[in-house]
Amino acid sequence: MSVTFEQLLGSPLLALLAGVAAVMGLLTVNALFLIYAERKVSARMQFRLGPTEVGFAGTLQTVADMLKLISKQIISPKHIDKPLYHLAPLVVFAPVIASTALFPFSEAWSIVDVNIGLVLVFAFGGIGIIGIFMGGWGSNNKYALLGAMRSVAQNISYEIPLLLSALSVVLMTQSMNLREITVAQGEAGFWFILVQPVAAVIYLIAAVAETNRAPFDIPEAESELIAGFHTEYSGMGFAMFFFAEYSNMLIVSMVGTVLFLGGWSGPGPAVLGPIWFLAKTYSIIFMMMWFRWTFPRLRFDQLMSFAWAIMIPVSIANLIATAVVLKVV
Amino acid sequence: MEATIGPYQLLIGFLLLGIVLGAAPLIIPRLISPRYSGAKTDETYECGVDTIGSSWIRFSVSFYLFALIFVAFEVDVLYLFPIAVVYDQGFEWRDLVEVTMFLGILTLGIFYAWRRGVFEWR
Repeated sequence: MSVTFEQLLGSPLLALLAGVAAVMGLLTVNALFLIYAERKVSARMQFRLGPTEVGFAGTLQTVADMLKLISKQIISPKHIDKPLYHLAPLVVFAPVIASTALFPFSEAWSIVDVNIGLVLVFAFGGIGIIGIFMGGWGSNNKYALLGAMRSVAQNISYEIPLLLSALSVVLMTQSMNLREITVAQGEAGFWFILVQPVAAVIYLIAAVAETNRAPFDIPEAESELIAGFHTEYSGMGFAMFFFAEYSNMLIVSMVGTVLFLGGWSGPGPAVLGPIWFLAKTYSIIFMMMWFRWTFPRLRFDQLMSFAWAIMIPVSIANLIATAVVLKVV
Repeated sequence: MEATIGPYQLLIGFLLLGIVLGAAPLIIPRLISPRYSGAKTDETYECGVDTIGSSWIRFSVSFYLFALIFVAFEVDVLYLFPIAVVYDQGFEWRDLVEVTMFLGILTLGIFYAWRRGVFEWR
């Protein structure tokens, strides 16, 4: 059993505040780091240097960008649907905070430990999609509306293979608790990517699609839709969508780490757990960045029929195979 | 310790504080940012030309059928999670047969949509 913040601090309110502070700290550092990493990785893959001027080797570039965004004027266009437009960044942002709190960073380190953790993470992801559509519809901008439509269609299509591949793992562990899934891999003595390679590949593809990243970045295809659903957001409104996007990359990678890569497990003492956990998570994120500069963007109908005609049948077949193997063995 | 807080109450707290923390960066710039307002500042952005009409019009969304299939699938997949939690715990072969039947019927939905030409772009 893990020690909760409440037992540590002796008060539920303090526990909540400490938890939120921890999550916000992690997500902020993650967003700052990932934007820098994204620019550096993409630059290196194109034989460029990327940011070099601000701070040592450009490390403070994102901080400078953030300060610029804070000082920008917030423009809300004339013809918007006011409540939807102004609420959208919050609806995208708040669930990200809650779902990050669910992850076990080591045997003893988890902020919220619930037995339906896995389903809750996906449920919070679903709320974010509503926020995206609110922003796109509320903007009353044709590009934003088309981007939001594409985003929703893509997210709901890839949600199903995502859930089905996660389900194959739940079938093996008989638990939806993220900590217990990790422990089960420790007891089995191997990471589930070894016994569920098909589910792992499906999960990775679906996760890239869920985060609207290349080659599935049709919702924000800048050459045709300007910026997709957040075209009409300026300054911090835009920054919130960006923040949520990079946090979602972290979340899907953390789920992937828990399901397939053994979570916090690794050589060395148990104290190193969180380091192993983050190392595995950021390896998945690096792969996602790598994809972006390797694969061209898919056409929208290719993207949709790929989800329904290949991903879902394969993941259903994988699920049945898992069920049969579990019975026979 | 007298007052305890369950994990779900804690999560609701996370959501509420998330809204507060999200609102702060949206309000602060309103105090420090410039307030320039020109003739076209508040116009809807459409590549610099004058906006043509509202975007809240009726148009054909070619992939609305995906949304319909999605609703069926999502609910079906959620029914599978409780089965997965108790799978292979003393049901002999019954649970395997039932899961296979359930997934088989689920797959028929895809075949039906496929034959109806939902996956083709028109």
